[in-house]
Amino acid sequence: MSAERFFISESDLRALAADLLGAGTVVIAPVVVAACASPAAMASSACLRPGTEPEGLEYRALTDAAQLDLGRGLPILSLKGYFLPEHEALCRWKQKGTTIEVEAVPTEFAPRVVLAAKPCDSAALAVVDKVMNWDYEDELWNGRRAATTIINLACPVIDESCFCTAVGAAPDATKGADGLLTPVKHGYVFEVTTEKGRALAEAHKARLSPAADALAADTDVERAAARARVAANLEIDAQSVRDWIDTHFEDPLLASLAIRCNGCGACSSVCPTCHCFDIVDEEEGVGRGTRRRCWDTCQAPTFTLHASGHNPRGDQHARYRQRINHKFAIYPLKFGEVLCTGCGRCTRVCHAGQDLSEILQAIDIAAWRPGAAEAAAPAPEPVTS
Amino acid sequence: MNETTTDAKTSAGTGVTAGVKDLRAIARALLEAGDVRVIIGWEAGRRGARPVFVTSPAEADKLIFDARCVHNLVTYLNPRRDHVAELGKIGLIVKGCDVKAVAGLLREAQLSREDVVLIGVRCGGVLEENEMPVAAALTRSNVAPRCYVCDNREPALVDHLVGEPQPEPPRPAQTMDERIAALDDKPLEERWAFWTEQFSKCVRCYACRQVCPLCVCERCVADKTRPQWIEPSPHARGNLSWNITRALHLAGRCVGCGECERFCPVGIPLSLMNRKLQQIVAERYGYTVGDDPEQAAPIGDYRLDDEQDFIK
Repeated sequence: MSAERFFISESDLRALAADLLGAGTVVIAPVVVAACASPAAMASSACLRPGTEPEGLEYRALTDAAQLDLGRGLPILSLKGYFLPEHEALCRWKQKGTTIEVEAVPTEFAPRVVLAAKPCDSAALAVVDKVMNWDYEDELWNGRRAATTIINLACPVIDESCFCTAVGAAPDATKGADGLLTPVKHGYVFEVTTEKGRALAEAHKARLSPAADALAADTDVERAAARARVAANLEIDAQSVRDWIDTHFEDPLLASLAIRCNGCGACSSVCPTCHCFDIVDEEEGVGRGTRRRCWDTCQAPTFTLHASGHNPRGDQHARYRQRINHKFAIYPLKFGEVLCTGCGRCTRVCHAGQDLSEILQAIDIAAWRPGAAEAAAPAPEPVTS
Repeated sequence: MNETTTDAKTSAGTGVTAGVKDLRAIARALLEAGDVRVIIGWEAGRRGARPVFVTSPAEADKLIFDARCVHNLVTYLNPRRDHVAELGKIGLIVKGCDVKAVAGLLREAQLSREDVVLIGVRCGGVLEENEMPVAAALTRSNVAPRCYVCDNREPALVDHLVGEPQPEPPRPAQTMDERIAALDDKPLEERWAFWTEQFSKCVRCYACRQVCPLCVCERCVADKTRPQWIEPSPHARGNLSWNITRALHLAGRCVGCGECERFCPVGIPLSLMNRKLQQIVAERYGYTVGDDPEQAAPIGDYRLDDEQDFIK
């Protein structure tokens, strides 16, 4: 048996998922959900948009291996919520007289497996790992990361908003993941890239067979073609973009990107790398309550509103510049990685037409105006690993 | 043909309708004369029609109008959008339905009529999903359901009105009112389960509020922290609290443009709730939202004979 690459048929892949479920392991995977999942009776009357597909794709915990979707594009929300939930308790408190009892929350999690993760979503986890282990080790994030084995699926669908290759990712990458499934005739080539991935393959070796060299070579051709298709959407020099943004805070291009932006923050909600959160105390009765963190966004005015009433990011231009600055300059300068994996969800979700590909293209052009290249010396460090 | 909305008159070779030519000419003239500093309209973007801000006469040819121009641009008239307000006087391109939102802002003293030049476009209905390179012909299955029996085809509040008279929008496969009737027919427990399921998807991004042309509060109740009226966590309690509060605050004010639902990243059918509230307001107060700013809305109008039997 070749050490790293196996063949698995689609039926064996589903059987593998069923084995995991049978053993009580949580399996998270893309699942087609009805637009109005329940009650079922509603689906035909109140809720469906006529003429459109009455379904969406979401990462869900499987209840049946047959639900595993292997053919569609990106789920509405990224994998982020399984590591940084939309809201989660940090601790609970009870006040008795003058003493306060604080109850901690568990930071260890049962093992779970993500199957058919999108490469841009797993890559995002590896990028966010950096900030989650910077000045403070986030036990909840790290606990969930340690408990989770992630197997990617090379993208079956690439559309005009995908640009992962422009930011150092790829539609067949394994960054942040433990293995990769690549579709081939009659099944998948299953490649393992980490110890966790090897352990999964070892535990389910009855479902796997060695991948013939010819099959492996086929996947290489397919994968190169997929990368080329994404690259045709957008090509930028991430280092030049980073340095230009870092030195052009007041430039009209950077300072007036958001005229059509409604400041709704939907881009942050769907973004796999946006990780900012707010911490709130919620009382649940007299003298007791829960401290929670929930997703927050730099696109909301309250994100930076001072107690004095002053807001250093007073309008949407300033807030949108922060989004671009944080993703493409601040984070790379601090952690050596772009805070974006090119999934394109922000563009797809924005009905006002804010288009990140278009914006990055404009900045890339600005960064390469005559004279800009010489001014950028000395040569900066690589942005992506 | 009932299912087309484009003007029959098309100027040779350009594919631009006579109405769009007029639109561009008016926009250009307003900018050249200095009557406005910016025209807010729609342009053809990479993924379909999108809002555009035209500040020089030379750029007026970017403007388009077709069935993809769904976006209610009145949201940009919100006086608290500093980065738009600072551009100067606005010329706004509006459909008949959009004009109702302008009337709402005027009615609530958020805008003075002389602050804006309104360029109306005659509209034969818009698409529900507008992200496509060329506007599709409207059909029963792709028309925005709210367009059915449009009651503002010749908007009166505008300064200019362009385009040929358009055919009636097609009847959608299921009208808004039929959708609501289907939901109303269900027992209470099923309706509760339906909305519980819908609200469970909410991630509290507040896109619904941000795009609403009438969500113009200086500080939204959801952003108030002393006290915290609405829990910010997207759990069942917080989501119910937010979604009900948003809907009720728009009762008798919502113009039914559907932008909240369209922008919702997780697909909550907010229009159903908004339309239901419109029905209740019509039933209780005989009020239907229109484009006459002088017509008082129930939320700002007390009458001694107001029906009160629902107060228990």
